[in-house]
Amino acid sequence: MLEASLVATLLEVASVGKRFPVAVRGAARGAEHFLHAVDDVSFSVGRGECVGLVGESGCGKSTLVKLITRLLDATDGRIWFDGHDIGGVPAAHFARVTQRAQIQMVFQDPTDSLNPRFTAFDTIADPVRRLGAHAGPEAVALRVREVADLVGLPRELLRRYPHQLSGGQKQRVGIARAVALEPALLVLDEPTSALDVSVQAVILKLLEDLRRRLGMSYLFVSHDLNVVRLLADRVLVMYLGRIVEMGGVEDVFASPRHPYTRALLSSVPAPGEGGAGRRIRLTGEPRSPIDPDPRVCRFYGRCPDGLARCTEEMPMLKVTSGDHFAACHLA
Amino acid sequence: MRRDAAPLLSVEDLSVEFRTRDGVVRALDCVGFGIHRGETVGVVGESGSGKSVMAFSLMRILDPAARITQGRATFGGLDLIAASERELGLRRGRDLAMIFQNPRTALNPIRQIGRQIGDVLLRHAGVPRAQARARAVQLLVQVQIPDPERRYWAYPFELSGGMCQRVMIALALACGPALLIADEPTTGLDVTTQAAIMDLIDELALQSHMATMLITHDLGLAAEHCERIVVMHAGHVVECAPTAELFSSPRHTYTAKLIGATPRPVSSSDDLAAIPGGLPDLRGDLPPCRYRARCERYAPLCDGPLPRSEPVPGHLVACWKPL
Repeated sequence: MLEASLVATLLEVASVGKRFPVAVRGAARGAEHFLHAVDDVSFSVGRGECVGLVGESGCGKSTLVKLITRLLDATDGRIWFDGHDIGGVPAAHFARVTQRAQIQMVFQDPTDSLNPRFTAFDTIADPVRRLGAHAGPEAVALRVREVADLVGLPRELLRRYPHQLSGGQKQRVGIARAVALEPALLVLDEPTSALDVSVQAVILKLLEDLRRRLGMSYLFVSHDLNVVRLLADRVLVMYLGRIVEMGGVEDVFASPRHPYTRALLSSVPAPGEGGAGRRIRLTGEPRSPIDPDPRVCRFYGRCPDGLARCTEEMPMLKVTSGDHFAACHLA
Repeated sequence: MRRDAAPLLSVEDLSVEFRTRDGVVRALDCVGFGIHRGETVGVVGESGSGKSVMAFSLMRILDPAARITQGRATFGGLDLIAASERELGLRRGRDLAMIFQNPRTALNPIRQIGRQIGDVLLRHAGVPRAQARARAVQLLVQVQIPDPERRYWAYPFELSGGMCQRVMIALALACGPALLIADEPTTGLDVTTQAAIMDLIDELALQSHMATMLITHDLGLAAEHCERIVVMHAGHVVECAPTAELFSSPRHTYTAKLIGATPRPVSSSDDLAAIPGGLPDLRGDLPPCRYRARCERYAPLCDGPLPRSEPVPGHLVACWKPL
């Protein structure tokens, strides 16, 4: 999308990587082994933009989110947020920098991510008290009520505990907590996957509406491609720690260039689209994320059209058209 | 289609109640449908609509607080409601298998997964002890668990949720059941894994005429894999129709709303429509139509006993004012 490149950049992630030391059974003594959860990932999120992040479980989506929200320290690379190098701030100190209030998160399961001993009011008030500029209990209470109205949470529910709320209401509390400080970047980790379709529809509409009204940027993580398509302007496809494709959402969905994206899109169940006939089946085992060979494409072995070259030279992200990138020798 | 023979599973007027401290919950009310050999039937509806309760009552593994108050369910000549625990014990796991929603709680946490599969094979399939291990590994291969020889010895906590789900599926399919009750079998799995597992179920339906009851809240998944779909709302079957027909001309307002709320490849968020209201409280007196309070087409006529009409042969709807 053209607009995306014109608006100022809010978040810039440059060659970020995260390796976790792991114990490997039968390994030589003294030898160190690393699981490459995120490897050389670069992308940006513009102001007011919604970027979707898709990929299978274990591909590093959650690790990447934790690096950006500064819950984890990256092994290498840099992260700039609003012109500040936040990647250099140790995760343990991040709570004390001003950017902390500007990055908020909505979690997957509203039941697990709300404190069962906090009322809805306390949950929403917590970030306001800790990070907000609202002085005094009255100002905080006023703000909480404002936010409750904003996310469509009836005020009388503010006194309730999570177990007294429905799934949709709990997710509204989770969203209210995240938007209470009007952050510039909202990171949403599968915000609707624990909800019923009927409730999901309401929450998706709410998220879209909030983005328009508050001018926030979204980093929207989901494995439901239909949901990503609805909300995102641009989409990043991750596979085993690396971004394999990136581009405008319509562009990527209409003409995917990476074989993994093609397989992913063909697996989305959809009523009346020919079913299993159009599906690209992935066979073979995924490659191990532990000490991967830097020369071999991570998708090699499962890729329907792998070549000898794919084992000799790691394909890098390159432009295929406009702002559409793919990391494949055949793209 | 195979409409000649009697259905493999037939459920008629099944009602289930739960006695709780706050009164009797009427979880299922006069539920009826059938599944033929080799057929995959989808059961869809919001959480709390009674999908799992129905599956549990067919397996006769309901909570002690539940009571089947009326109705019949027969499975290949066996009366599932009247059968003794002994009879059921012989059939469950062999002819009648179930995939549970939450694999972490359904698997035995202190037994290696390979051995758990072996247990089923020894108990129900008459596999000799010497071959149980090889067969179990073969099943792990079938559900696409990487490195099956090593994973045979893994405990459930050593595997991811998706892997545990695949082990569950391997357990259910171990004896080649005649009927598979799959309660949200692929929820939480990636689309690519979901596709592979649904392909496996489809293949078994085709090759060994396995019948499947696919409980899901994903209408897209039901549309792709089911021949017929049963729509449930608050313990009622509100509509039952062949898949294509259900999507092209839903007759019940609830079905239409459910379809409208599902994100599709070709829609924008403006096209998404939420379903107004929530499920009614299933305690106490309920109107004949439990969708009444959420329905925009409500008329005084709707307070009469719930009708069951068949506007097109094979398409059943429980509504006074069908679309």
